[in-house]
Amino acid sequence: MFEALRRAARNVYHLLLLAWAAALGAGLGLGSALFVLEGEYPFGERRVQAWVAWPSVGSPSSDPYARAIMARSADVPLALGEGIAFRADVDELGRPLDAACSYDVSGETPVARAWTVTLYDPEGRPPETAQRRAGLASAQMLRDEAGGVTIALSPSPRPGNWLQLPGAGRFQVVLRLYDSPVSGALGWLDDGAMPRIVRVSCPGGTTS
Amino acid sequence: MTPRARAVLDSLGRNAGKLALATTIGLVLAAMTHIAAILMLPWLARQDAQARLAPTATSETAVLVAAPRDAGFGVLDPSPPATWLPHHDPAMAVGACAYDLAEGPLRVSAPDGPLFQTVSLHARGAGAYYAVTDRAAVRGRLELVVATREQLDDLVARDADVDGTDEAPADGFGDLRVVAPSREGFVLVRTLAGFPSEAGLARALVESVSCTIEPL
Repeated sequence: MFEALRRAARNVYHLLLLAWAAALGAGLGLGSALFVLEGEYPFGERRVQAWVAWPSVGSPSSDPYARAIMARSADVPLALGEGIAFRADVDELGRPLDAACSYDVSGETPVARAWTVTLYDPEGRPPETAQRRAGLASAQMLRDEAGGVTIALSPSPRPGNWLQLPGAGRFQVVLRLYDSPVSGALGWLDDGAMPRIVRVSCPGGTTS
Repeated sequence: MTPRARAVLDSLGRNAGKLALATTIGLVLAAMTHIAAILMLPWLARQDAQARLAPTATSETAVLVAAPRDAGFGVLDPSPPATWLPHHDPAMAVGACAYDLAEGPLRVSAPDGPLFQTVSLHARGAGAYYAVTDRAAVRGRLELVVATREQLDDLVARDADVDGTDEAPADGFGDLRVVAPSREGFVLVRTLAGFPSEAGLARALVESVSCTIEPL
């Protein structure tokens, strides 16, 4: 009687162990996969100042994680021969970009046939502002006497190249270089080759 | 220590050992599940670009996926066309056509317009494998032939035959031939509207790109 009970308990214990192993496998495996897919492309990240790019994502050598993330987000990144997209969600001092503040984006842009600067909200959609314009292309730029370009990002109108910020929340800036040797990843850029994102003022009264 | 207590301790130790073994097996299973899920997702996804573009496979021309907003002022300014492309550049008109090379090679023919244009080829589950800009256009047209390796061998063999009979290929001049890594995929065309006033032209250029299967 006692022996039979013990055997039954052992069988139940073994079944529980099997269930535990299966649950651990499925839960941890799928959970970790989902966690990775929700994030950024995990490999091949290149940084210049505040800008981040993933040059290998649009090439035949993209890694399985990048392919899975593309499949999940339906994103079609720029291919290697088309160009390269640099994203920034912090300013040059590493502070998160705040849509209530004003910024100046100025400096050199790497050689490219055309480039565009575009604002996005954290979800990757262009913000809807009264200006009704989320981006500027290189052909539209107003240049100073030295040929330099400054783009003002601000909730209120500014002279020159201006993109309106929605006034609240975070935002991202994406600089896309079309038909640029940079995307060939022959070498990488140094800090001076990319425009700087400088915080000009914030409603709190703090300036850079 | 009584024999009875020792027996209880032994059994506890055995059971704890089994639990550790089960946990180890669970972790190995988790690693395998993780790898399998990541590798299979591009083939199972129903919301990725390939799946969303599947209806365009029958179209003879590129179908507009995203377009820049037309020029205008104030309330007359139309809202931007809706798109499923995340992080879409609002200055770009984007068109696409899906293909399946089962019936023969695909010919992509794009007129060379005044705007910056790129054509990129994407394989199902593998991402971009080829891209070319309008600089590659010859005589005002960008002609791409996408073929599997066997189809390309057939094409080359046919060219050799034609050369043998001393007859120049009628329209083979300036074709860019690309080997597709797999049978299924899609072509993506992007045209840059440098000014809002060029939005209409960019859209028209994208829609004038033709994708046709040319059976061998």
